[in-house]
Amino acid sequence: MSLRSQLEDILKDLKSTGDIEASAIVSRDGLLIAADISANVNAEAFAAMSATMLGAAETAMTELGKGIPDRVVVESSNGKIVATGAGEKALLVVMTSPKANLGLILLQIGKASRRVEELLG
Amino acid sequence: MKVVTGIPVLDDLIDEIPNGKTLTYWINPEVEGDVFAMQTIYTNVEEGLKCAYTTITISPESILAEFEEFGWNVKDFENFEIVDLYSEYVGYPSKYKYSANPLKIDEVCGLLKNVLEEFDVIYIPISSIIDVCGDESISCIESIFKLVKEKGKVLITSFVSWPYPEKIKKIVGDLSNAIVKIGGIHHRVILGYYYGLVKVDWKNVKSKSILFKLVRPGGVRAYIPKILVTGPYNAGKSTFVHAVSNVALSVDRLGTTVALDHGHLEYKGFSIDLFGTPGQERFDPILRMLGKDALGVILVVDSTKPETFPRAKQMLESVTHFGLPYVVAANKQDLSNALSPEEIRKKMYLPEDVPIIPISASKGEGIFKVIDALLDILVGSWKEGENEFEIST
Repeated sequence: MSLRSQLEDILKDLKSTGDIEASAIVSRDGLLIAADISANVNAEAFAAMSATMLGAAETAMTELGKGIPDRVVVESSNGKIVATGAGEKALLVVMTSPKANLGLILLQIGKASRRVEELLG
Repeated sequence: MKVVTGIPVLDDLIDEIPNGKTLTYWINPEVEGDVFAMQTIYTNVEEGLKCAYTTITISPESILAEFEEFGWNVKDFENFEIVDLYSEYVGYPSKYKYSANPLKIDEVCGLLKNVLEEFDVIYIPISSIIDVCGDESISCIESIFKLVKEKGKVLITSFVSWPYPEKIKKIVGDLSNAIVKIGGIHHRVILGYYYGLVKVDWKNVKSKSILFKLVRPGGVRAYIPKILVTGPYNAGKSTFVHAVSNVALSVDRLGTTVALDHGHLEYKGFSIDLFGTPGQERFDPILRMLGKDALGVILVVDSTKPETFPRAKQMLESVTHFGLPYVVAANKQDLSNALSPEEIRKKMYLPEDVPIIPISASKGEGIFKVIDALLDILVGSWKEGENEFEIST
């Protein structure tokens, strides 16, 4: 099984949690590695901006001496975005529906990100 | 009594205006400079000092309305008075306790001297008085400056630097114990305003220029100019930001900037914030976001890679659409295959007047010349007048 399809499997499993509209595995420098995104979303921009968001949040937090943040959660009335690190080289980002149960989703994202980390190192 | 200017940063520099001293706001005609004197007067009114504000070309009502607009309710203070030289000038009887006909210079001079006896801080718009009363009023002004010193009062004046005779400029410049110059930053249009201390004779102060915005209500607010550092992937933007800044941090992952570089630089009296952008196309939304409110652009290019020049130009276009001034830093000049600035100008079809500075960001060579070139464009008008006054050291 190729690395790519293994990563795509992780995203597929994640989607079965429910309320997840899109997800992607992105390199830390903002390149798309694997995605489960509908065609009407610009996956490249989504990937790059996720890397920007997480990168900026990590720097802001560490500059304040508070360590590396576990995740960035962005909420709007139309949905939520959760970005979390998945090892040194990648990050995992998920877009949910507005009513999603964040607790359950964060748990699943945590598991998925550890699997990504194992695969990508 | 302790008199302050009430202007941000200025008070940190000079602490106070000692008794017996005159501070002049030297205003470029393009700038709305009256607010400086108003802010100084109001600050001291609030501290309980007896302050008088002289008006000659604007009606007292307009002056009071303008104070009001900035949120300064001087009318409610008993220790504030208007000195009205306007009403009789336009032929109305004055409603104010202190008034005179400005066409009778002796009357004006007598009034101002009386006011000086009674008040702690007085404001006189010198250039407006010269406009109305003519050159002969200068001897009256000279005598008032001297009286301020004798009586230990504080005089605030404003001088709008129209092309008055050199003699008059020299008299006002020499008699003022401190001069704060107020001007605009140009590039096709006025991009911003600054003020700076150019003379002070009671303290050792390094010259400092401060950019400001007018806030209503609020008055003069200092702000730090933002300079955008942009350019294609791997041109050396982050290296440049880190090399010139006193403190800098980057959000970079896997060797490339993903969000921004931020650097702060204290240079030649200016506080400058540098914002480095990512270089790769996928981050272009960030580029436009960072470009907002920038005052100038530094375009960093890799001199050894002419194939990246079209991208450099496209980035420049997307951040300078409001006509921001820019300079080009021709980086990696330490490499043998680097193109010369003139070759780059030719290949990029850049106008003759755009500065292209050869640098090596990694070796730290030429980097401050880039900042100099941009400051030159931004505050060129400041430099022209630099030798007008000696800054006491």
